[in-house]
Amino acid sequence: MTVQPQVENPSVTVLERSEQPLRNRRRARRALKRLPVWTIVTIVVVVVLYPQVWMILGSFKTQSEFLSNPALSLPENWIFDNYTTALNNGNVSRNYLNSILVTLPSVALIVLIGVAAGYALEVLVWRGRKGTLLYILAGIMVPGQMILVPLFTVYFRAGLTDSLWPLIITYTVMGLPLTTFLMAAYFRSIPREIFEAATVDGSSPLRSFFVIGLPMMRNSILTIGLVQFFSVWNDLLIALTFTTRPDLATIQVGLLSLSDQYGSTQYGPLFAAVSINIVVLLIVFVFLNKKIMAGMAAGSVKG
Amino acid sequence: MNSVFGDRKTIIILLAPALLLYTLLKIGPVAWSLGLSFFEGNTLRGFEFVGVDNFTKFFTDDAALQSLGVSVFFAIVATAGQILLGYLLALLYVFVLRKGSSLLRTIVFFPAILPTVAVALLFRSFVAVGDNQGPVNDLINLFGGESVEFLATTSGTMATALAMTLWGSMGFYAILLYAGLLDIPDEILESAKLDGANGLKLVRHIVVPLSLPILLSSIIFSLNATLKVFDSLLALNNGGPGTSTAPLTLYMYRTAFEYAEYGYGSTIALVLTLLCLVFTLAIFRSSQRKAED
Amino acid sequence: MKAIRSRRVMVATAVALALTPLSACGGGAPQDAGSTAGGAGTGTDPSSFTILTANENKALPATLDALAKGACSAENAALPIEHQKVAQADVVQKVTLLAGQGALPAHFIAGTAMVRPDGDLGKGDLVLDYKEALEKLGAADQLLPAAAATVENVYGGMVSLPYQYNVEGIWYNKQIFADNGIEEPKTWDDLKEANAKLSQAGIMPMTQAGAAGWPLTRLMGMYIFRNVGPDAMKDVRDGKAKLTDPKYVAGAKALADLASSGSLGEGFSTRDADTSANLFLTGKAAMTYDGSWLLSSINDPKRNTIRDTNIGFMPFPAVEGGSGSIDQYAANAGAVMAMSPKQFGPKVGDWLKCISENYGAQALKDSGTISGFKVNEDVKELPVMTSQIQEKITELKDPVLWFEALLDPKSNSLASTNVSLLTTGQMSAEDYMGALQKSVDAAR
Repeated sequence: MTVQPQVENPSVTVLERSEQPLRNRRRARRALKRLPVWTIVTIVVVVVLYPQVWMILGSFKTQSEFLSNPALSLPENWIFDNYTTALNNGNVSRNYLNSILVTLPSVALIVLIGVAAGYALEVLVWRGRKGTLLYILAGIMVPGQMILVPLFTVYFRAGLTDSLWPLIITYTVMGLPLTTFLMAAYFRSIPREIFEAATVDGSSPLRSFFVIGLPMMRNSILTIGLVQFFSVWNDLLIALTFTTRPDLATIQVGLLSLSDQYGSTQYGPLFAAVSINIVVLLIVFVFLNKKIMAGMAAGSVKG
Repeated sequence: MNSVFGDRKTIIILLAPALLLYTLLKIGPVAWSLGLSFFEGNTLRGFEFVGVDNFTKFFTDDAALQSLGVSVFFAIVATAGQILLGYLLALLYVFVLRKGSSLLRTIVFFPAILPTVAVALLFRSFVAVGDNQGPVNDLINLFGGESVEFLATTSGTMATALAMTLWGSMGFYAILLYAGLLDIPDEILESAKLDGANGLKLVRHIVVPLSLPILLSSIIFSLNATLKVFDSLLALNNGGPGTSTAPLTLYMYRTAFEYAEYGYGSTIALVLTLLCLVFTLAIFRSSQRKAED
Repeated sequence: MKAIRSRRVMVATAVALALTPLSACGGGAPQDAGSTAGGAGTGTDPSSFTILTANENKALPATLDALAKGACSAENAALPIEHQKVAQADVVQKVTLLAGQGALPAHFIAGTAMVRPDGDLGKGDLVLDYKEALEKLGAADQLLPAAAATVENVYGGMVSLPYQYNVEGIWYNKQIFADNGIEEPKTWDDLKEANAKLSQAGIMPMTQAGAAGWPLTRLMGMYIFRNVGPDAMKDVRDGKAKLTDPKYVAGAKALADLASSGSLGEGFSTRDADTSANLFLTGKAAMTYDGSWLLSSINDPKRNTIRDTNIGFMPFPAVEGGSGSIDQYAANAGAVMAMSPKQFGPKVGDWLKCISENYGAQALKDSGTISGFKVNEDVKELPVMTSQIQEKITELKDPVLWFEALLDPKSNSLASTNVSLLTTGQMSAEDYMGALQKSVDAAR
């Protein structure tokens, strides 16, 4: 089953090679057929990348260039001053470390707990699971801001406020409803027979979650993990509410000091910082994306 | 079979951590906050029971009702756009580009990871007028139009905010839906193709029904997220001009945290929660009706 | 079935458990509030001199650190300085939360309305009266009289240290004025005339950062202060006058007319602070009404291409027939920086004394910040404009407040959000003031 796609392609090449005269015409026809697709893809890419190009250009501009020159003009000098400023702003390395220390455990917890709950709610059969799913769904409906004040009190009384724990715990709780809910939906789109067929060999139910449930949903799990990673990484509200010590500040909090009290912003360094941030996230993304690909190739369990 | 899938110990082991954390740290605090809908005051001043006063206040409060309208309008339009664009992209990934979609997926998802403040700055500068006019107005000028100060009007701000939201989130929804489409077993598609289903027909009769759970979940998620839109409208134009694009969350935030009226802020939150509930149930019911068809 | 029921019970218990501690603390007033009376030396020293400042304000903690290493090293050795940060937009919430837990640091930023006598912190005696404290410490003369007056006027008591003291007025480009034969406008009509001349010459007369709202309401407010007199907004607060009175509405009308005449240039209502400053500092706009914080941009040659010697500073013009005087500048003393009476022990007192004696010179030296403290040291080589403004501030008498200063938080926010509607013709002057007065009444 793994080899399926590989079989397909060689056979096509073999076919084409054997019919040399037809090859060009066929290729032309195929290119014509693909034209609308490529037009759409090009438009999408331009729409998405255009503003980002502006941001990267902005990261090389001085404040007055940024304010005086047209938005898409090239910087007058390609200098890295803004990057130096961004990297020397406050305690950036500490901010990054905090962001990592908070994000990784949160995402791991969200995914593990959320996927397990999704499995229990969708694949396992018991009465009341519909109601429980709705109960968890309610968590998506309430405005997140409303948990801040009570949780602050709880963390304070528990003596947790001088650590990163409030952030990790809160992110986990905030991410759970969506993860559980989406995982349940993903599990639902798999025909039941597949789970049943895979369980005939009599493995224990808990084992079957780890051996069948988890690997089968690798794509979805990684997708959700990715989504949660970015939402935790980019959060500002919770990080602001539960930390006051500068050495607990995450990267998003650190970015605030690039603005001053009177509403003025250092655009160049801000965009430089965002660009650096993007590179960091891109590495994560590409890495996980590879994993998704690998998961797909190995995901033959599916067929 | 059901004995395997109905094992109580397994259910508890898998479900208890989520349920416990969620109940203790989310539902509990939220219930506490929502309970304060019937009180006036804040954590420093103390609370005073006022019964349903806050609710009567809400429905005579012009600013609150205006915000309610903003939230509902934004949620409906943004959700329609997000899901439509996201689904089209997901179909493009799965059925047209197939294995080659990886790069495009990455590129289109990208805006979702940018901080909202940066995205808002970006769109502000895109629709700017005056000395450093943005490309949108350059384009309008090119076709002989007069420059438009988008952010000075309600409709202009709303349009910019929607464009910004769609730009930022379509890749996210595309990936969400893509993962759902990927999990559709190939055999089902193959056999449908053998039966002669192709193109639109295949999408309408096979793909959409099979991806319906994740599609509905995405709609529900999108509605719930956009009904609670907060930072994009705040960062783009501070809910202005005036308060004409201030969503309910912003009004709630200002009331509870800036004006320090936590009780009334909780009331607004409760109304918002009920609104989300109504929308979610509406989607659920319509999906059940569809399933019965 | 049994299993479900027992689970339901479990869930219910969990909910109940989660709620009990919360509702217990949510009920009455926090136990710490009001337990200690304010006053110098009445509290007990904490283990460190913890200071909560805004993330966005880098100068203040840096200057205090410099003092800790220099002039106040003895105080620092006795009670080491420690910093905490809060986002500016989050100040009210964070301070409310901290105060609710009795966890306010020794020295902290706060929201304007909170520290007033009827505010949440003021009512609970959670802010120190600096007047009394500084008198006891023998350092009362370290505050500039004008700065002390501004603090007392805004907050209804000496509850904040003037780590900044900003004077506001119209900055103008001398060259552009000379080229167009314009003298410093002394009256509002002169200003309108000058604007017309400049517009005709193709120069933007005035730039304001309309996106933030307050740079526009400042113009309206100053017009009202000139028209009604320096107590204009105090009267509104005390209910002696209404914003809907013709003399107040005239201010809104004047601003709306200024905007519709095109004097503020294209796109003023969405212009941000940086763009606005840039227009002025690159010679594209002739004037801008702004505070003395603009000095940091004026003194930056990368941003200022019109040279600092080419910039003039004048008061907001008088309004003919008005009761206010052109000599009354608007001034503000930055964000509230209060102290907790509970933690105001002898060591914190030493810190307060040392700060008030040395902050003025240190801030001027390090960052060119003009504060409301006396400068007790000869600070050399100050940029031209900075020393000019510094002199002006030292001599400042009868400063007025700004338009929103005495409004409640909600009306304050409404004033600056609705001003974009007023200036773009989407709301009439009467409606603007009517809505605002309604909000003021509601908060009473």
